Amino acid sequence: MKDFLKNNGLWILAATAVISVALAMLSYFSATSSPLENIANTLASPFRSARTAVSSWVEDKQNYYRDTTDLQAENEALKQQIAKMESEIRQARADSEENAFLRDLLGLQQQRRDLSDFETALITERSTSNWASTLTLNKGTSHGIEVGDCVIDESGNLVGLISSVGASWSTVLNIIDTDTSIGAKVFRTEDICVAQGSFSLMSDGLLRLDYLPDNCQLMPGDLIVTLGLGGFLPPDLVIGSVQEVKTDDSGAASYALLSPAAALEDLTRVCVIKSFEIQS
Amino acid sequence: MLARTATIFKWTLYCAAGLLCMFVQWLVLNRLHIWGLIPFLYPLIVAIPSTMEGPLFGSAYGLVFGVLSDLLLPAPIPCFYTLIFPFVGFCAGFISRNLIPVGLLCSLFATMVSFFLTDLFHTIVFWAQNQAAWRAAAWVGVREFCITLPLILLITPLFGWVYRTVHQDD
Repeated sequence: MKDFLKNNGLWILAATAVISVALAMLSYFSATSSPLENIANTLASPFRSARTAVSSWVEDKQNYYRDTTDLQAENEALKQQIAKMESEIRQARADSEENAFLRDLLGLQQQRRDLSDFETALITERSTSNWASTLTLNKGTSHGIEVGDCVIDESGNLVGLISSVGASWSTVLNIIDTDTSIGAKVFRTEDICVAQGSFSLMSDGLLRLDYLPDNCQLMPGDLIVTLGLGGFLPPDLVIGSVQEVKTDDSGAASYALLSPAAALEDLTRVCVIKSFEIQS
Repeated sequence: MLARTATIFKWTLYCAAGLLCMFVQWLVLNRLHIWGLIPFLYPLIVAIPSTMEGPLFGSAYGLVFGVLSDLLLPAPIPCFYTLIFPFVGFCAGFISRNLIPVGLLCSLFATMVSFFLTDLFHTIVFWAQNQAAWRAAAWVGVREFCITLPLILLITPLFGWVYRTVHQDD
């Protein structure tokens, strides 16, 4: 090797110089990149592509992880937001129902100036026995409610009477209960009669209209309202409408089946009349 | 013969079991409508322990639960349950002592009698108030008994457990 360089070193140097000059000339006169640069980059190109692919894959994974984490956080936040909005919707729905109830009640109050003092109450429990028809309300003596107070729905239909009352609760005896007996009159003819609950009709949600006058011309659909005599109940509260007129077992007297105007099964909120003006 | 503390413990357990049943009635059964009626546990609460304890103690237990029931339930006359439940307790105790030995069959028969007596008393009160509804009352009574019947399978073991807990040394 030493001899080879000693013998041919000059030639090699000259050849290298010639090649270098040739390459320099080619680079100078070439319109594109230099041949050496071209060769070098051509050789490096696959490796560069591989490196780019690997870094892209890693970047994708990083982005995926970051996106997933962000999405999970966003999902959690959205869930909380939905829960909050659902709660607001529920509240709004309840408020809306109460608003409608109070609006109807306001209309009733404007129609009926004699009904001076109302208390709205929620129904917290329905009949606790199969032998009575009652409602339990969430208001009692602390809100001025007393035994015997009249309970109506938002349209002024009679629901029942307060039968027992505590500090924060009261029990309503529905008009279809067997213990209920109310002085009534036929709105069309002004005939006086008595509306009372009957056990055999209670399960059908009906009540009886008894003590009808002999000449009473009662027709199905006739509206029955409270009589209001004696000052126990306000007059002209709608009890219900006549469903059917019947004759009793003796054949001597007639009675009617009465369908209550208040939807007793669907009520959620009622109104207690705490005081009213007694009409002379 | 139980010692005084054991007797107090026993009746405390019976009352606790009864109150548990009342709680179940209030929380669950009152919201459950089967065949148009709610299952009614109160006669069972009186009848089943009475079958285990006999007519005398059954009557006393019935009296206590009758008072409690009158405070909680609507009734056609004041003291309705206070009047009928001691009699229910007596009859249930009499059945277990003289007719059928204590057990599921005895509970079933005592429950049937307790429903019959309670519902008959309801019907008599309606009749006395000029609101006779014998057929409707009988139909309600039958349905009420039928829908409450399966609950005997829960109530009998509950009170049986109380009885066995206290009388395990006998």
